[in-house]
Amino acid sequence: MSKAPHRLTSNFFGIVIFTMVLSSCSSMNVTEETLYDRNVQTVQASVAEEATLDYETKAIFTNATVLFDFDSFNLSSKSIQTLKGAVTAMKANQAIKITISGHADERGTREYNLALGQRRAESVKDYFALNGVAGSRVSVKSYGEERPLAFGTDEMSHAKNRRAEIN
Amino acid sequence: MKKLLFLLLIPNFIYAELVLEITQGTENPYSLAVINFDGPQKISKKINSIIKSDMKRTGEFIIRDSSQLISVPRNEEEIKYKDFKLLGIDFIVLGSLITESKFNLSVSYDIYDVRKEKKIRTSKVFGIPNKIRQLSHYISDGIYEEITGLQGVASTKLLYVTEERNPDKSLFQLVIADADGANEQILLRSNEPIISPSWSPDSKKVAYVSFETGMAKVFIQDLASGKREIALKNSTQISSPSWSPNGKFLSLTLYQDGNAEIYILNLKNKNLTRLTNHYSIDTESSWSPNGSRIMFTSGRSGSPQLYEIDLRRSNSKPKRITFEGNYNAKASYLANGDGAIFVHRSNKKFQIALKYFDENFVRSLTESRLDESPSISPNGNVIIYATTEDELGLLAGVTLSGARFKLPAKKGEVREPSWSGFLR
Repeated sequence: MSKAPHRLTSNFFGIVIFTMVLSSCSSMNVTEETLYDRNVQTVQASVAEEATLDYETKAIFTNATVLFDFDSFNLSSKSIQTLKGAVTAMKANQAIKITISGHADERGTREYNLALGQRRAESVKDYFALNGVAGSRVSVKSYGEERPLAFGTDEMSHAKNRRAEIN
Repeated sequence: MKKLLFLLLIPNFIYAELVLEITQGTENPYSLAVINFDGPQKISKKINSIIKSDMKRTGEFIIRDSSQLISVPRNEEEIKYKDFKLLGIDFIVLGSLITESKFNLSVSYDIYDVRKEKKIRTSKVFGIPNKIRQLSHYISDGIYEEITGLQGVASTKLLYVTEERNPDKSLFQLVIADADGANEQILLRSNEPIISPSWSPDSKKVAYVSFETGMAKVFIQDLASGKREIALKNSTQISSPSWSPNGKFLSLTLYQDGNAEIYILNLKNKNLTRLTNHYSIDTESSWSPNGSRIMFTSGRSGSPQLYEIDLRRSNSKPKRITFEGNYNAKASYLANGDGAIFVHRSNKKFQIALKYFDENFVRSLTESRLDESPSISPNGNVIIYATTEDELGLLAGVTLSGARFKLPAKKGEVREPSWSGFLR
C-alpha cells in the first residue's frame, strides 16, 4: 500500500508534498506525508561607503534641522528662518553639495512615514530651488521613522523626530 | 507529573527567541484530549507539548492531557468513550513514534470522535529526529484540518525584523521563524534599518527594504542560497515591495518623480508600468488574491486613506475605499478578497481594523496605542501585527474567532511581521 518513506537528509531541499488519501473507507481520512525541509542562508549587509565629504565647507550646515507638524510637510516660518542662512551659504560657496534627509515620528505606518519624510526633504529642496540653488547640488532621501532622535512616546519626542536634516 | 512537564517544556523556549503567550481564547472551543504518544518518552513528551501549544494558539481548542483524564487508553480498544463524554471532550488523539533508523523518525496518529464513538482519521508523518518541532507542527495541522475543516498554519513561517538598539550602532536582523516563534533563522544582519519584508507567493524568496546603501532600496533574496539582488537599479530611493499572487510582478513605490508613486515591475524583463500619478503620496500597494486589483494608501484627500485600482481596465481611476477617520493605511486583502485589514486611527490610537467592502464602517480588531503592519495567515484565520508594550516592540496575533496571543522578543524589539504561504 504505502511506498517506502522518502529518505530525508539535512541538506534536502525541494517541495515534497505527500499528502494523499490512501484509502477512502467510508468517512475516515487516511493520510501520509513527508516533512518538507529547507535551508536558509544568512547574509551580512556590507556597510555603505561614506561619501567623501568636504567637512570644512559643510561645517556651516551641521545641525541645520527643520521641524514639521504631524502628517505635514509644510515649512513653518521658523524653518524658513533656519533655511535662509543655509541658502546664503550655498550661494557664497558654489562647491557645496548637500543631502537633505527627511524623518517622521513613530506614529502611523512605516512606509507612509518613509514617503512623508521624503516630502519633508523635498519641501526643503523646493525652498532652495525657489531661492536660486540648483537642484543638482541638492539630493534628498528619507529615513521615515527608522532613525528617531528622541525615543519617547510623548509629543515632545515626536516633535523632535518630525524633521529634515541638512548635511 | 506536572512539575516534570514544566521542566521538559523549558528546553523548547531556550532556543526560541520569541516567547509565546496566549492571552485569550474563543468562547466555544473544541475540547481535545492529547494522550502521550507511544514511544521513547523524551521525544514523545516534546512532540506532545508542541502539539498542545500549537492547538492552544489557535484559540479554538482546550487541551486535556493524560494527567487530566479519567482513563488513559493506549490504543483504540482501550478507549472508554463514556470517560471522555463525562469530561466534555470532543476528540481524542492517540499516536505512536516509529524510529526506523538514526535518520528516520515517523509518527502515526489517529483522531477519534467521542460523540460518534469512532475513529475519523489515521495519519502518518515521515520525518527526521532533528526536526521534531516541524514534525509536531505537521501533526498539529493534521488535527486542526480534520476537526475544523480549515488548513492549519502551525507548519508555516513568520518573517520579521528585529532591532537591538545600541548607543553607537544598532543591529537590525531580518529573521524567519516557525509560526510559534521558535526555530529562528537569520536572513540578513545589518547596521542600517530594514523594513517591509514580504514573502514571494511560493515562499522561496523574500523582498524587503534595506537602507544599507545609504537610502531605501528593495532587495529580493533567495532563502536557500542567500543570493540577493536589488530589485530595480535607480538613483533615487525605492520601497514598499508587494508580490503579485502569481509571483511574476512586484509592485513598488518609486521616488524618481520627487514623490512617492506606485509602479509595477515585471520581474522577468524588468519593465516598469506606472500605476499612480498624483502630487500627493501614493504607497503601500497590495494585490488582491486574484491579482486583478491593487489597494494602496494615498494622501490625495488630505489624509492617508485607502484606494483601489482595477488592473483589468486601462486608465482605471483609483476608487476610494475608506472614509472613516483621518488615517487608514497599509492594507492587505482578506483571503477571499471581500474585505481588507489595515491600520486605522481612532481616538488618537493606531489600531488594526477590518473593513468588508459591502459595509460602510470599520471594525477595530485591536486596541493598544500603536499597532501596525498587519499580516494575514494563509488560511485567512489569524492576523499577526506589530504592537508596543512598555515602549518595546513585539508581535501580537488575533484570530478571527477572537483568540489573542503575543510573541515578545527575548531581547530588543521585533516588528514588521509577514506570514508565509502554506509550506506543507
